[in-house]
Amino acid sequence: MKYETFNKIELALYYIVIFFILREWLLPVMMLTGVGYVNLFLFFIVICLFISLFRIPFYLSWLVKILYISWFTIHVYSDAPFISPEGIGFLWRELLSNFALIAHGEFFYTTNPFQTMLFFLLMWMLVYIVHYWLTIRMNIFYFLVLTVIFIGVLDTFTEYDGTVAIVEVVLLGLAMLVFLYIKKLIVQYGASFRWQHYLKIALPAILLIGMAGLMAIFLPKADPQWPDPVPYIKSAAGQGSLFWEKVNKVGYDEDDSVLGGSFVGDDTTVFIAQTTKKQYWRVETKDIYTSKGWVSSDANVTAEIAPGQTVYHSLPVGPDEQKEFAHIELRYPYDFIIQPYGLMAIHLSEGMENKINLTMNVETEKISANYTGNYMYHIEYSTPEYLYSDLMSTMEQPLDAGLRRKYLQLPESLPRRVIDLAEEIVKGKESDYEKARAIESYFGKNGFRYETKGVPVPEENQDYVDQFLFETKFGYCDNFSTAMVVMLRAVGIPARWVKGFAGGDLIDREGELDTYKITNNHAHSWVEAYIPEAGWVPFEPTIGFSANRSIQFDIETDESQEDMLIADENTEPENKKNGTKEETARENNEKLASFQNLFKYLRYVLYLLFSGIAVAGILLVVFRKRWMLKWYSRWLKNQNINETTFEAVYMRLLKMLELKGFKRKKGQTLGAFAKEVDEIFHFPYMSQITEAYENYIYGNKTGIDYEKLKECWENLINRTSS
Amino acid sequence: MHRKIERIIGNIEKVIIGKREVAELSLVALLAGGHVLLEDVPGVGKTMMVRALAKSVSAEFKRIQFTPDLLPSDVLGVSIYNPKTLQFEFRPGPIVGNIILADEINRTSPKTQSALLECMEESSVSIDGEVIPLPMPFFVMATQNPIEYEGTFPLPEAQLDRFLMKIRMGYPTESEEIEILRRAEKSVPIDHLEPVVTINELLELQEEVRNVYVDDSVKGYIVQLARATREDAGVYLGVSPRGTIALMRASQAYAKMQDRDFVKPDDVQYLAPFVFGHRIILKPEARYEGVTVDDVLDNIIAGSVIPIRRFVER
Repeated sequence: MKYETFNKIELALYYIVIFFILREWLLPVMMLTGVGYVNLFLFFIVICLFISLFRIPFYLSWLVKILYISWFTIHVYSDAPFISPEGIGFLWRELLSNFALIAHGEFFYTTNPFQTMLFFLLMWMLVYIVHYWLTIRMNIFYFLVLTVIFIGVLDTFTEYDGTVAIVEVVLLGLAMLVFLYIKKLIVQYGASFRWQHYLKIALPAILLIGMAGLMAIFLPKADPQWPDPVPYIKSAAGQGSLFWEKVNKVGYDEDDSVLGGSFVGDDTTVFIAQTTKKQYWRVETKDIYTSKGWVSSDANVTAEIAPGQTVYHSLPVGPDEQKEFAHIELRYPYDFIIQPYGLMAIHLSEGMENKINLTMNVETEKISANYTGNYMYHIEYSTPEYLYSDLMSTMEQPLDAGLRRKYLQLPESLPRRVIDLAEEIVKGKESDYEKARAIESYFGKNGFRYETKGVPVPEENQDYVDQFLFETKFGYCDNFSTAMVVMLRAVGIPARWVKGFAGGDLIDREGELDTYKITNNHAHSWVEAYIPEAGWVPFEPTIGFSANRSIQFDIETDESQEDMLIADENTEPENKKNGTKEETARENNEKLASFQNLFKYLRYVLYLLFSGIAVAGILLVVFRKRWMLKWYSRWLKNQNINETTFEAVYMRLLKMLELKGFKRKKGQTLGAFAKEVDEIFHFPYMSQITEAYENYIYGNKTGIDYEKLKECWENLINRTSS
Repeated sequence: MHRKIERIIGNIEKVIIGKREVAELSLVALLAGGHVLLEDVPGVGKTMMVRALAKSVSAEFKRIQFTPDLLPSDVLGVSIYNPKTLQFEFRPGPIVGNIILADEINRTSPKTQSALLECMEESSVSIDGEVIPLPMPFFVMATQNPIEYEGTFPLPEAQLDRFLMKIRMGYPTESEEIEILRRAEKSVPIDHLEPVVTINELLELQEEVRNVYVDDSVKGYIVQLARATREDAGVYLGVSPRGTIALMRASQAYAKMQDRDFVKPDDVQYLAPFVFGHRIILKPEARYEGVTVDDVLDNIIAGSVIPIRRFVER
């Protein structure tokens, strides 16, 4: 094979490797920002690389790229066909309005299509830089380092899993470094290409890389020293709690016997749920309040649940016609199934039915699976709608005595003032529902704060609820929900404490189904109260969370009453309204979600920026010789040597050569040094220049022909700085 | 290289094989108006070198073989009473000549040695109250055998100062020695040597050497080296200002030889070991440690600061 052909094929292989490395850049960004059309973006990279590889003239390449970007923007963001007045008009308007926004400095309001176009430009530049590194510098080391840092940062700070990506990038990259280095040697020394020589260098290096990779796989690996650096860094920076306080990591904890203490966030994704609406995910209930926390009555009665069959539980279920499916993807080794309200049946993915056994604890209604790997399940459910008439009923509690005792349990030590307060709150309310609503909305109206930091653990002889209600008046979901259950029980309404996850973050939307990401940060607790006629109804006393129940106003209520109700609901910040208003509320929520996504995205950009600056700084220091050399040689190239500048220019020349690695030894004369340099470069220029300089400084000569030196000088600088 | 000087060296090389450096250095000393001490074992061509040099420049060559019983008058000359003129007449000794080979100078008594050294310094002979100038150019090449000490009077180091430089000949290489044999096979090559420059041309050259420009930066460099010898930890006696002058003169001559009209630090560096070598006395401790004068000078040169900018008076 001729070297030229080989060269082309080799370059093409490099470009393929580069494509895979660039893919590792693109995928996490796409995943974290929830942008679709990954393949179209990747195809753009392919186009750019292809154009670089075949050195297509720039006007053609620009045309192709710009056409592609335009097509993508119109195709994705407008319904108009590409070559149509509407399509072009759309693009034109987008550009005009966004440039106007940028001109006003309102970067936040630039539209998605425009941001996408910018993103394309960014990829374009990235490919160009890689192309430059590859074909001109023949060194992609910095690119590799940046890639590894990028993936490392994302792996550390986000839920993106870069384990495979890092290994892939490092191995591919190292191999590429080797081949590029050989190529550089061939070019530098003008050596002729011979297979046996090539393999002599390449094979051991590849073998070495392969061995290093294998060793890395088989070596034992230490567990991470930091479970998750973000909270660690935050607490180290003093944002977290003091070290003597109890610090809980938020997340689903089985043991709730001692509540209280601050907690730190945990961004780990637990589930990905695809549903039609944002809703609460129940895990289990607890019934015994110990004045410090919650335990469940220790009855380990379990019932098998057959996949696809009706699940029996204590909660009401909506009508069959409104049956929906939620698709849950487990991402964390939890052994339980999360349930939406109105659970009907659980379907497992095909092939998993035999592997997974589902059982429900009859007491806590926790559904456990004897499987901890990542898997998917599909929940059939119908959200119950409570009839207003049922809720307002003033019937006697229909629960049997045993259950009543269970759900009205209160510790002996409960301070009297808690019961007094509860009775005070419900004074004048007739139905249990109204009483419960009064307690639910009590916190929002009486100066309670939502706070995750500095929440104390009750002392030996202190009650958790009493402390919260009368002393601290701040806390998180556990405080609010526990306090509400205790107060409900104090006024004779059967109630239980529910644990699970709040709705999660909207990350994607595909047709009817929205995709929510539920992280450990979304672990939550709330209240269920038994209302006669209606059954168990969820309540949400925690400030900042909205109630997860839908009510059908089936009876005539006078306007003031309804107003009051809506006003009540409005006191909760993140509100979900009923009926037709739900649509707009949902939109608002999504806007919020996309806004949060934007901030998340900005945060990654910041991480990236900071690590980029740090890396750039380190590189600048480490490679100061290179850039100083560049700077010197550029300066020298443009110098006009004459009587007045000769000395300064010659000094710079020495400095440049020193950076290049040719340092004049102490006691070495200029002539000897020049000879040494000339011998290395195989040219006479340094000696010629030096001779003139010697004439200038030692000979005190004035009539030096600087014009004659000019050519010599240019040759010298060009050859030495290349 | 200067055309005339090249011719002289080329001429010498016809007779002396592989000793170009020695020839050059001798010529440097001759042009600088100094004298040379050749230190080497007998039979390596010291005499041949001097004779070739003398013949090349059409100078009068004299040879004095120093022996323990040689008297100053045997060197300088003596006044003899002439009964015819009733006057003392001065009969000049062998010192009166252009190029003198003072062979085995360390074999004679200090009295005779100092008579010679005085002539070298003054370029004149004073006898019986009369000062007789010596012909110009006047160039003494003294030799001494470094291995024999018995029955010798080693020159005191202070006296050595009078020589511009001390040179070692060294043995020829194998191929050079074969070439020597080949040339000596049939005839003595020196007999066929023709002069290439006249005495007057030589004197002109000497004049030109004195006009070679020495920049203040280079003077500074010479002084820097001399001072470094005085401050070196292993040195008992450093280079005197006379040595500093000698190095400058020699550098001028060497620059002229390169057909250059200014002195470079390269010239200074090259000549420093030859000019300074015999002017430095090491401390006994250093000598016991095996340090040589050459080592000391090499270190000093390697550690010196070369002037690379225009000289600015500070």
